Amino acid sequence: MKKKVLAVLMTSVMAASVLVGCGGSAAPAAEAPAAEAAEEAPAEEEAPAEEAAEEPAAEVAAPAGDVDYEPCTIKFDWWGGDSRHEATQKAVEAFEAKYPGIEVEVNFGAWTDWETARALEYQAGNGSDVTQIGSNWIPDYDGDGKTFIDLNTVSDVLDLTQFNASDLEKCLDPVGQQAGVPISMTGRIFYWNKTTFDKAGIDYPKTIDELIEAGKTFQEVLGDEYYPLELGEYDRALFMSFYMQAKKGEPIILEDGTLNVTEEELADGLAFIQSLEDNHVIPTIATLAGDGNVTLNENPKFIDGRYAGVFEWDSAPLKYTSNIAEGQELVVGEELDFGEAVKGSSAKVSMAFAICASSQHPHEAAMLIQYLLNDPEGIMIMASERGVPASKIGFDTLNDAGQIDPLIAAAHEGVYAADPMFFSPRFDNGELKGDGAAYIDVFSGLSYGDYTVEDAASILFDAYSNVCE
Amino acid sequence: MANTQTKSLSQAEANLRRQRIISLVLRYTVLIVVGVIMLYPLVWMVGATFKNNNEIFTSMNPIPFNPTLDGYKAAMENYGGAINIWKAMLNTYSYVIPEVIFTIISSVLTAYGFGRFKFKGHDLLFSAMMAMLFLPQVVLNVPQYIMFNNFGWIGSRLYLPLVVPTLFATETYFIFMLIQFLRNVPKDLEEAASIDGCNVMQTLIQIIVPMLMPAIVSCALFKFMWSSNDFMGPLLYVNTPAKYPATIFVKLSMDSDAGFNWNKILALSLISILPSIIVFFAAQNQFVEGISAGGVKG
Repeated sequence: MKKKVLAVLMTSVMAASVLVGCGGSAAPAAEAPAAEAAEEAPAEEEAPAEEAAEEPAAEVAAPAGDVDYEPCTIKFDWWGGDSRHEATQKAVEAFEAKYPGIEVEVNFGAWTDWETARALEYQAGNGSDVTQIGSNWIPDYDGDGKTFIDLNTVSDVLDLTQFNASDLEKCLDPVGQQAGVPISMTGRIFYWNKTTFDKAGIDYPKTIDELIEAGKTFQEVLGDEYYPLELGEYDRALFMSFYMQAKKGEPIILEDGTLNVTEEELADGLAFIQSLEDNHVIPTIATLAGDGNVTLNENPKFIDGRYAGVFEWDSAPLKYTSNIAEGQELVVGEELDFGEAVKGSSAKVSMAFAICASSQHPHEAAMLIQYLLNDPEGIMIMASERGVPASKIGFDTLNDAGQIDPLIAAAHEGVYAADPMFFSPRFDNGELKGDGAAYIDVFSGLSYGDYTVEDAASILFDAYSNVCE
Repeated sequence: MANTQTKSLSQAEANLRRQRIISLVLRYTVLIVVGVIMLYPLVWMVGATFKNNNEIFTSMNPIPFNPTLDGYKAAMENYGGAINIWKAMLNTYSYVIPEVIFTIISSVLTAYGFGRFKFKGHDLLFSAMMAMLFLPQVVLNVPQYIMFNNFGWIGSRLYLPLVVPTLFATETYFIFMLIQFLRNVPKDLEEAASIDGCNVMQTLIQIIVPMLMPAIVSCALFKFMWSSNDFMGPLLYVNTPAKYPATIFVKLSMDSDAGFNWNKILALSLISILPSIIVFFAAQNQFVEGISAGGVKG
């Protein structure tokens, strides 16, 4: 008897547990019934799913807008923060309203591990129809041109003439197809804490000599804690590339992926970076490590103005201005003049949209991209959430409406005023840029005194050679 | 004579009492100091949910200088109605609870098999299983993703890629722990049960499981914590905002490009760890017993 009772009890507990499992997920599923139909159909059942999606076609008598399309469901993913999520979701809703019958399933998240998850999707042939990619994703994941479609095939709906030819060129894949369309271009520029420079009694630097002079003035007038500029390992690598490019007059990695720098030139560049540390222009890596494991915009010494300069993307000043202590003012500087014919700065695609080759509806996916980048309605909703638009109509629409933050607009102008060179995505390759990769190894090793300039140059040269042709 | 004796006796008593008080004060001082040091980060975190970024990075003081509720207000954001923190937590537990239950059932069965039965290939299989203990999850990501993709389970509304593997005793550590525990359960009990007419499964359910209870609770708690904290799994296999669990939701606004408000993240973290803390306190006694018993006897 007792055994039976126990058995019944066990069974009911098991049943209950199964129900709990179902119940939790059934509730949210019911709230999104529309998305469910497409979602639940596994890959093998592609055909019936499409049929189901096509059914409303008959009901939608005349699609709005001036392009033909068939009602369908497309997937769209991006990474970002709250405001970008919000703006993009609104834009997607407006797109769905403008083109009834096209349904957009979105997937968004933070940057952390986002690339890993998307890379797996691309590899498994499971990527979203429209996907937001970083500048180095094209060479990294589309080396054979089979991951993303050639956007020229959909140029009837996606107006590629709105983009600079040179910007489009940066989104070609190794086999020469237009794998992506640039959303925004970005380059590094200097932001200076005007309050601290005023306190030191000098203007912010415009040439390298003025910068080195500022290092001395800061030490004498304000004290050892004060530095005119802060550079982490990756910042150093970039600033060094500006220096070498100014000397050479050419990009350090050419557009076809060949390395355009010798070990001696690297040694010269590294010695230059080291001289900045020695001249009290930038804090040592050890000093930065001592500030705690924080990014610069979260570093108390930056917040209260002891580090008075930042070398940052033109699109990213707001994370600094929002954190800086009250009473401090951050202004945009200029690309530094190394006393050469060119300034040596470079600009890259900060992110792009691509259409996965696995997409069943590339035409409609291209319509979505067109709406987000080139349709004034979509442009206004997206605003500058993905940086200053690379699309001409995008930039004009936003600029006329005063939608671009003045600091970002000024920084963007500053980057373009210096006539930036080609910035190879290979420069950001994981072997160079990642945790424990070459940049961190070389620049911290050099700063800590573990490497001589020659050792560091040889390690860096090998690392560059590995990722270049 | 008698007087002096009582006097010295009471003096000794007073001495003893004084010693006791001193040791009490000492012990509590040490406990309080260490307790404060241990709890400080948690207290700071709670305080920081009421601060703005500027203050978070510059002040060690757990009490906010300019308290603000913005963090909690922002934490209630619902991303166009797609998802909010409560729904995200519900999502989390809708796969964590089945995962815990299935893990326990499958691990107990496997441990029972390895611990009590000798069969062909027992040793080989056991060492193969132990070897799995050293296999990091990262190396499994790609093959598993491809496999689940072939099954059509990616983006499954029932979180199949997360839940189904737990049916197959994938948590080697628990099996190992349960086997160690099982060694200390006398076989006489099972023999007595079989004499009384229990079959193998009845012996397991009625004799072994009650004896293993402290260890099972520990395993359940571990699994509960690990699953609730899992970030990579849901990131790979969940691709609709409405199904995001809390781990993904908390990170949604952490954009390193544009910067973000830490008070929101901290407020979200605080809200989302509350259930775990409650579960832990509810099962604390059993949990500690399970860990220490396993440690001493194993």
